[in-house]
Amino acid sequence: MNKRQAILSALLLLFANGVNAATIEMTVNGLVCGFCAQGIEKTLRRNAATEDVLVNLEHRLVAIATKPGEDIPDEVLRKALKDAGYDVKAIARTGRTMDTIRAQLKVGP
Amino acid sequence: MNAHLERAAIAALILGAFSGGAIAKPIAFAQGTTVMAEYGAGTMTEVQAFYAPTFRYSLGGGHLRLDSEVNENTRDITYLRVNFLPKRWNLEAAQANAFVWGSVGRAHIGESDENLFAWNVGGQLDYETRRVYASLRTDLHESSAFSHRIDTLQLGIAPYEHEYDSLATWFVIQGRQYTGGLSEGTEWAALVRLFKRSAWIEAGVTTDGKLQAMLMVNF
Repeated sequence: MNKRQAILSALLLLFANGVNAATIEMTVNGLVCGFCAQGIEKTLRRNAATEDVLVNLEHRLVAIATKPGEDIPDEVLRKALKDAGYDVKAIARTGRTMDTIRAQLKVGP
Repeated sequence: MNAHLERAAIAALILGAFSGGAIAKPIAFAQGTTVMAEYGAGTMTEVQAFYAPTFRYSLGGGHLRLDSEVNENTRDITYLRVNFLPKRWNLEAAQANAFVWGSVGRAHIGESDENLFAWNVGGQLDYETRRVYASLRTDLHESSAFSHRIDTLQLGIAPYEHEYDSLATWFVIQGRQYTGGLSEGTEWAALVRLFKRSAWIEAGVTTDGKLQAMLMVNF
């Protein structure tokens, strides 16, 4: 492997890790109680691509960590939340890990 | 220990066996099961269990025991029920719901020792944020021998905003009226409600010093 191939491989690996580490963060309306959170968490954990779910009532936040190399399309997320009885206002893929989000929100796993 | 304290202790022990919205709802969430038990100051005692295939409706059944405060009349009503959520409003920091339900079943009339067909319709309007909530519920139970309506108003306030994994605490004022010779006037109660994740309990006393308590678990 020459130097150019090594750099390319390193960049691809870095890019791939970046994709894997992406977290989906959703802003959800109607999120006011523990039972709401419980229903949403249960729904999202049924998705085969889901690795972890975090619900925060104060920030109206639902965050999903997907399994390495996997993603959940926006329309699937919107339908899942709609079917659970809630309205998604925004979806963003961020570089924050679940641990970072939990630390910033100061919530447990 | 008197009977009311015994019941409160039993309710607390049951809660301890389990590991929570501010409002009791007949549909908690899609593909969720709700089990509720309520002791209403000696006049009504009810247990219910529902399964919700979707967040729009749930199916299940229950048993309602009514003991008149004004005479010796009793009713034991066992029913199958459908709950429906025709409208939900998801606001930025609040949620409101309109529920309706209907049931059919069998009622045992204590004073005549008869068993009769009975039916029921009811509804609930509620609104909640993480700090305040209000709900108005009406429940009409009918048979050829009786007609009872139970109207319940609840207003709640939370001293702090709970998070999903933290214990939620609510202070609740409840007003309830019965029709059909069960009770006279409006029964007022002050309640404390605690819930965390899937379980909640509320307990308090009416202005007559009687126990009012409820236990609910969602899973």
